[in-house]
Amino acid sequence: MSITYVDAILQAQETLLREDPRVFLYGQDISRFGGAFKATKGLAEAFPGRVLDSPISEDAMAGVAIGAAIEGMRPIVEMQFADFSSIAFNQLVNHAGTHFYRTGVPVPITIRLPSGGTPGSGPFHSQSMEAIYAHYPGLVVVTPATVSDAYHMLIQSVAHDDPVIYCEHKFLYRWLKSPSIQDDGLSLGQARITRPGKHATIVTYSAMVHEAVRAADRLKSESGWEIEVVDLRTVKPIDMDTVLASVARTGRLLALGEAFPWGGVTAEIVARVAGDGFHLLDAPPARLNSRDTPVPYHPNLWAAHRPTPETICLAMRELLSF
Amino acid sequence: MPTVPILMPQLGESIAEATIVRIGIAPGDGVQADQEVIEVETQKATMGVTTLCHGIVREVLAVEGTTYAVGTTLGLLEVTEEEVARTGVETLEAAAERREAAASAPQAAEKNLHFAVDDDSYEERQPVVEPSVRGLPVPAATIKGAHYISPRMRARMDEMGLREADISAIVGTGAGGRVTVEDLEKFLDYIGSWPSSHASPMRMAVADAMRRSWTRPLATVSRPVLLDRVLDHRRQQDPKPGLTLYVLRAFALALAEDPASAGFLIGERIVHPRAFDIGVAVQVEDGVVVPVLRKVDTLTLSELTNVYAEMVERARRRRLREDDTRGGIATVTNFGTFGLTHGTPIPLPNETLILGLAAGVKKPVWSDQVEAFIPATEAEIIVTFDHRVVDGGGAGLLLGRIAELLQTPERL
Repeated sequence: MSITYVDAILQAQETLLREDPRVFLYGQDISRFGGAFKATKGLAEAFPGRVLDSPISEDAMAGVAIGAAIEGMRPIVEMQFADFSSIAFNQLVNHAGTHFYRTGVPVPITIRLPSGGTPGSGPFHSQSMEAIYAHYPGLVVVTPATVSDAYHMLIQSVAHDDPVIYCEHKFLYRWLKSPSIQDDGLSLGQARITRPGKHATIVTYSAMVHEAVRAADRLKSESGWEIEVVDLRTVKPIDMDTVLASVARTGRLLALGEAFPWGGVTAEIVARVAGDGFHLLDAPPARLNSRDTPVPYHPNLWAAHRPTPETICLAMRELLSF
Repeated sequence: MPTVPILMPQLGESIAEATIVRIGIAPGDGVQADQEVIEVETQKATMGVTTLCHGIVREVLAVEGTTYAVGTTLGLLEVTEEEVARTGVETLEAAAERREAAASAPQAAEKNLHFAVDDDSYEERQPVVEPSVRGLPVPAATIKGAHYISPRMRARMDEMGLREADISAIVGTGAGGRVTVEDLEKFLDYIGSWPSSHASPMRMAVADAMRRSWTRPLATVSRPVLLDRVLDHRRQQDPKPGLTLYVLRAFALALAEDPASAGFLIGERIVHPRAFDIGVAVQVEDGVVVPVLRKVDTLTLSELTNVYAEMVERARRRRLREDDTRGGIATVTNFGTFGLTHGTPIPLPNETLILGLAAGVKKPVWSDQVEAFIPATEAEIIVTFDHRVVDGGGAGLLLGRIAELLQTPERL
């Protein structure tokens, strides 16, 4: 029996509730309904009084969690969609992010953001918010791309004393399966080399890791290029040691992300590699993101909006031909 | 039956057009949805144009070998109503109706100017980029020609102490023929099996000076000069000044009369000599050093003789001080001592001129006085100059004046 990405999130929360009395879950329709994506299914019955339905106010949800965390709890907040967390923006960046710096009291909240695009979800249910939160000091932003990471990184997020924005990709929820959950011992803030290579590096995270691997496989079979894929896992802080070591091996960089192209994680990677690894580069560092428009509804438009193995291959061929 | 176009697709972000390589369909052929029916080529790759849905080819509009803009209708398919409903493709008929409706509407709705998601039909849209013969102004490969060195390549070269001159032997395999790190490593592997030895600091110093100097447009001219009077004069002196010193002194006097040719170009400024301090190339073990004699235009030949002897002696013993080789405005080199009758010396990187003296050769020379050929000793004097500062004419005048001054050695 295989485990899906969303199963892993459910199991991690089950483990956390079982093993840590400070943990409680808070979100819209997460109690008896089990959440919009069933990531909390059955937990309300198993842990009475610790899986709580919130009002439809992301602002209030974040505020309650921050208060509870200050008082010693380890709350996990489920935002129904990452897009809606913008309503809790003030609580998250101004209060949670700064609290420890202002008072010395940590705010160990974990905010689960169902993120990223799926076919037909449109502009309000598809966005990637990691770059927004990563901009603010005091927040940790994680973006698991595998079933095992979904599990372990959620456990680690709750154990972490800083507020953690846990970006879970909706496209991976049921599509991504694994025979079991493995622990490879990586901690928050450590990247993983998903696929070793020597001709170019793709640095990416979340669902794009899988698109990058598909593109890399295609480039290997069609042209013999060996592409290294680095899964950041955590976008803040960025594991630049792993990124620079990879670019040192390959000399070429494509920073790949599903988020909008203006600024963001890919821009950060390119800026840091250009600054700290200029001498490593054999070609101008490249970026590939979704397009600079709201995320379209129509599945065909959506597919044209986000990076796909086809567009990644095109970008890589350009990079490799320099 | 409804008609659906086969369109030139958007083949890449910077691709505005593509050339038809091969058309794989003919009128009457049945095609499947997403079937590759036409092969097209862009500047970057060869790709297939696919159909939007099932249908039968009614007409092929594209011509092999012709270039079409993205969005051009390349052919037409006849498609069933069911297929149109299933795939949601827009037929030509539907597009025409929509255009008509839009045209007859009293005031068409304002276009969505905020995003590039304007759902206007492709027929109406003006091409964003005018197709040209060779496509978009994508930077040509020539900007990264053989001379281009990537930061990684530069770092690897620095690590190994290599300069551009060192990699001139490598045929590049990168874009535009640039030498890649892989090319360099292969080359180093290859030469690794050859015998080699370590270059001395003296060799490296000469190499560095010559390499830096060679970045300028250098030109060389020469002319013969009769040396008999100089040789006669020299025989009567004690101690005997070297031939080099006669030439050195004549050179200094000629420059003092017309200092412009010893100027040094920096940006838009010509820096003129402060004093006629001229170096003399002295061959030493594994290299050349250039001690500088100060104010050569103000010293007599006999005064120069002692200074010069002492300088050369110190140079050969490697006892020159830092200051002894600084601040020259030109150099004299006498490679005639090696029996060479011609040469193209290279000035020091901080100097515009170098004057060479080749070996004297006995030759019959016509004499107007005796109206006969008489034996004479002739040698070439050669000047290499930075052509940014001096031209062939100026260099010729300079050599002419030196040749003239050498005919009255008693005045040197």
